[in-house]
Amino acid sequence: MKRKTYLIISLLIALVFLSGCGQSEKFDSSNDITIVSREEGSGTRGAFVELLNVVQKKKNKDIDMITLEAQITNSTAVTMTTVAEDEYAIGYISLGSMNSQVKALEVDGVPISEANIVSGDYKISRPFNIVTKEGTENPAREDFIRFVLSEQGQKVVGEAGYIPLKDTVPYKPQTVKGKVVVGGSSSVAPVMEKMIEAYQRVNKGAQVELQATDSTTGATAVTEGGYDIGMLSREVKDSEKKQGLVPQVMAIDGIAIIVNQLNDIDGLSSDAIREVYLGNDLTWDEVMK
Amino acid sequence: MKEKIMKGVFLFAACASILAVGLICYFLLVNGIPGMAKIGVGKFLGGKIWRPNNDEFGILPMIVGSLYVTAGAIIFGVPIGILTSVFMAKYCPKTIYRPLKTAIELLSGIPSVVYGFFGLVVLVPFVRNVGRSLGLGGNGSSIFTASLLLGMMILPTIIGVTESAIRAVPAAYYEGALALGATHEGAVFKVVLPAAKSGVVAGVVLGIGRAIGETMAVIMVAGNQARLPNGIFRGIRTLTANIVLEMGYATDLHREALIATGVVLFVFILAINVSVSLLNRRGQNG
Amino acid sequence: MDNLKQKLSAYKKHPGSLVVMLLVMFASLITFLVLFFLVIYILAKGIPHLKPSLFSFTYTSENVSLMPALINTIIMTLLSLLIAVPFGIFSAIYLIEYASKKNKFVSIIRITTETLTGIPSIIYGLFGMLFFVTKLQWGFSILAGAFTLAIMILPLIMKTTEEALKSVPDSFREGSFGLGAGKLRTVFRIVLPSAIPGILAGIILAVGRIVGETAALIYTAGTVTKIPKGVMESGRTLAVHMYNLSSEGLYMDQAYATAVVLLVLVLGINTLSGFIAKKLTKERS
Repeated sequence: MKRKTYLIISLLIALVFLSGCGQSEKFDSSNDITIVSREEGSGTRGAFVELLNVVQKKKNKDIDMITLEAQITNSTAVTMTTVAEDEYAIGYISLGSMNSQVKALEVDGVPISEANIVSGDYKISRPFNIVTKEGTENPAREDFIRFVLSEQGQKVVGEAGYIPLKDTVPYKPQTVKGKVVVGGSSSVAPVMEKMIEAYQRVNKGAQVELQATDSTTGATAVTEGGYDIGMLSREVKDSEKKQGLVPQVMAIDGIAIIVNQLNDIDGLSSDAIREVYLGNDLTWDEVMK
Repeated sequence: MKEKIMKGVFLFAACASILAVGLICYFLLVNGIPGMAKIGVGKFLGGKIWRPNNDEFGILPMIVGSLYVTAGAIIFGVPIGILTSVFMAKYCPKTIYRPLKTAIELLSGIPSVVYGFFGLVVLVPFVRNVGRSLGLGGNGSSIFTASLLLGMMILPTIIGVTESAIRAVPAAYYEGALALGATHEGAVFKVVLPAAKSGVVAGVVLGIGRAIGETMAVIMVAGNQARLPNGIFRGIRTLTANIVLEMGYATDLHREALIATGVVLFVFILAINVSVSLLNRRGQNG
Repeated sequence: MDNLKQKLSAYKKHPGSLVVMLLVMFASLITFLVLFFLVIYILAKGIPHLKPSLFSFTYTSENVSLMPALINTIIMTLLSLLIAVPFGIFSAIYLIEYASKKNKFVSIIRITTETLTGIPSIIYGLFGMLFFVTKLQWGFSILAGAFTLAIMILPLIMKTTEEALKSVPDSFREGSFGLGAGKLRTVFRIVLPSAIPGILAGIILAVGRIVGETAALIYTAGTVTKIPKGVMESGRTLAVHMYNLSSEGLYMDQAYATAVVLLVLVLGINTLSGFIAKKLTKERS
């Protein structure tokens, strides 16, 4: 008898769960848009806001005006999962993390691709920076940076799904010894990881170590001597340059605007994206009108 | 002589926690107070708008958010936790006790990131569908979801402490109550549980502490909107989420404001601890 | 069967009790269902991606090995325990066996320990970064991580040891004193051994926290994926490994596989310590 009650209760609970999960209705464009954004200060957000002009002028300064109703996350994985699961969501991620779980929108009629980013037709992209401290010497570090900016290094960038730099020279291995600590932005870390592996294959003398933290930690740790090279997925701030940081672009990353696979829309104008993120258009109907 | 030396060693060890708290206080205050002063204490604590790039640093939404989510976690977690610990201590058949106990211990060892993804993939869509079919809107990342997940996460803490508190009550209490004609339930809930009160309270407080301090899981399911809550099916940002979300990229005053958020969180927890120990003291005297 | 009938008739007489009983059953059912769902979820997502290449000794972006992280986790756990356990046990001994109950100093220690319990791990992380990493210039290192974690688990060990010491009957101590043993001898020979199962329970809880900790370690121990050559080198634990794998959305499968390994690890630790505790209590009795 007791067993029966158990069975019935567990069946009931399972039913509730199933009914909750199983509803995959058709795309209903009168629903509210779920706006997903990265956190304030994130390199991806900074570039997104600047390039799409989601700003308000105030005292000659552009102020980030992404609506406070936007859901905020500090992780690409969360952005993607949210968009992949919620039919009405919109978000933006780094091109290198793009996969088939979600759909990338055309912006102003231009699909995101390497060629379109290089030609400048697809406008939403940002640099990946590496920074070093002025006035410090480290032959192993210099050699590694030479590799990063070389033909071989930029090939790694391209293979990882990012946009390589143009006009590079081939890298010739040199005999160097020493340890290089590279650290910073977790957006840059995956490509840097491949970079280090490629480097260690051609040059075994130097030890290169990777620390995935974040852009700011990357910058501060270089200033304080913790890292030899910092990785930043945003522009270097003036206050950081004043502390003696020298930036160098190592790759270009496109930013993809993503929606759910079930979404009927394939492309939006940059104005429309802007209205969504300013919080002016609240439903997909309003966007499509 | 040896006795004296060892007593000194014990005393020294006992001072470690004071030293640790002192150091933590010092480093947080030194790094956080100047920022708070620059922003203005009133503007910082009472401000409703958080736009660091616009030099607006109001953390009132986050304070309210932390309160909401923690209260929610208590509503979900505490009754279930206490009842489960009663089950473990007084109902559970011996044969399945060991596996169940191991399972609960396992639950406390699961990293919060795993809880977070579980919440994101299982709870969020569930709440989203419930919210939408009830016409309440929201996208699933909400106060409700965060409370549910936190309620789950504090279960092992509450069960662990409460169960041992119940077990520590002398068997005579229970047997005495039975002898006076009480049912099993009557004896457990009217005699044993009240006798274990201080342990139960300790477990609940530990759970609350974990709920307020939890970060990695909450940021995945709470939505993290930095504005005052407008419904339990809408998102909210907590104090911890505010720190973790933005610390990575913050510079200058923004960074100081985040450390100051940490100070506020710290004061929060201090207040809870002090009020609980005051309550306990009054309980003991009365 | 008779027993059941008896129970049923008792419930008929006391419907309130029946309701309470059902509530208890329902609540436990929820707890274990949640647990079941969670474990099944992790296993279902992780087991298909458990490959031998995940366990090779060097990490590359190709094999995404978790072996270095696993070894780091063990090192980190041992080191943190090595620092925190003596401090925790000694201070508990001081509080229970030496200090008088009404002492002002004791109440300060209690308040500070409770404060430490409540501090969120992210704040430990910030503190560890400001103090161990920057101020003491240890850099991102296993040592900085272990010290940060040691402070974090200290109150847990103190609290459980205190409870364990309290539960040792006074008659044990009096007996020992009666036989002419000094205080120190009594504590180490009589009181502490009887309290070992309780202390062990505290240590298990602490290990659980260390193994699952992310926020406090990212800013202190760093995220290097190699097996460290010394305590001053950086290294990531399994939980941090998982966090890093999942944060960019590139290695989600491996992240779940890591979660499975973590689960097995926690289960292993629990079983082992349960076994030890049993053995110890048996030997004594």
